[in-house]
Amino acid sequence: MNYMQVIDKAGTNFNYVIAVTLFIIGLYTVVAKDNLIKKFMGLNIMETACFLLYISMGAVKGGKAPIWTEGLKKSTVFVNPIPQALILTGIVVAVSTTALALSLMIKIYEHCETLDAEKLKRLETE
Amino acid sequence: MRKVVVLCSLLICYVLLLFAVVNMPSMGDPDSITIKGPPGRGAVPRYLEKGAEECGGENIITDIILNYRGYDTNGEVTVIFTALIGVLAVLNRERKKISFSDMEQSPVKHSVIVYTIVRILLPFIFIFSLYVILFGEVGPGGGFQGGTIAAAAAIIFILVFGYSYSIGKFPTSWRINFEGIAPLTFIAMGLIGLFLGKNYLTFMFPQFSHTTNLTIARSMLMIIEIAIGVGGAFIFTSIFFAMQREDRS
Repeated sequence: MNYMQVIDKAGTNFNYVIAVTLFIIGLYTVVAKDNLIKKFMGLNIMETACFLLYISMGAVKGGKAPIWTEGLKKSTVFVNPIPQALILTGIVVAVSTTALALSLMIKIYEHCETLDAEKLKRLETE
Repeated sequence: MRKVVVLCSLLICYVLLLFAVVNMPSMGDPDSITIKGPPGRGAVPRYLEKGAEECGGENIITDIILNYRGYDTNGEVTVIFTALIGVLAVLNRERKKISFSDMEQSPVKHSVIVYTIVRILLPFIFIFSLYVILFGEVGPGGGFQGGTIAAAAAIIFILVFGYSYSIGKFPTSWRINFEGIAPLTFIAMGLIGLFLGKNYLTFMFPQFSHTTNLTIARSMLMIIEIAIGVGGAFIFTSIFFAMQREDRS
């Protein structure tokens, strides 16, 4: 593949490129930031990137939402419903983990008066 | 130093991922997606063609979530309930006799405009969430979405009117009854299949639905949807209540 073809392909797979970019931004936030809440925001951004990737993979050009309404024929093109069903599950699990993590952070802050990962590490060694 | 190392390694990851993504089949191309599969096989065409007549819902996604992948959703409903249990184990339920001195004031400044707008909008938000829950199998929507909308309305109420006022409107004693309703209803519906001589969640399997009336499958779908909606709304409201803390400043 030459240079122009790669650019062209990146244009058609634009959603995937954005998903990967979001994923890396989230990963950077998780690794580089010290604040626990920021770390968890990064994890949520990574989750969102995965959702975007999945939903984009299920898309079909000109596809209708997979709901049988009046006026639809058997030959109608639908988008792939399975990624959407999977991602609905994923979103709920993401919300649940976020709630649990935030409650743990509240407890950590009440005990240690800080949410900084480095300071918490120092507190642990002391 | 650390930042540089992190950035370099992430850059390498990014380039590798970009190459992987660019070489994937182009997006939205019907031929590159295995939506058709080999003739007569593959789950997606079957779901799309037979979903409405086998499970009783015009919305194929609801059919997949509650019927074809019923076990998955059963676990998922248990996951949000477990999240509530975890939050309550860590933070405790909100105290009944709380010193209102610090929490008397709501985070929103006392403003007539905000109060009035929220008062006017809340019933409509609740009605919309009810619509989303009840029409989940014929249109876009479903139990989780409607439940989250209702919970969001409750959270707006708590934020605007303050903790001490809203704890009187949503008392713990009646919130506690509805929190476990979603997994319990799901398991009860699954056990009906067991009592009828088939497997757990049998009503969700196509062969069984064919022999029974379609309305039964559909009403079971609706019962589970309503239970998930109500249970989800109460679970998220309870999590938000548990996270309320006195302002230290």
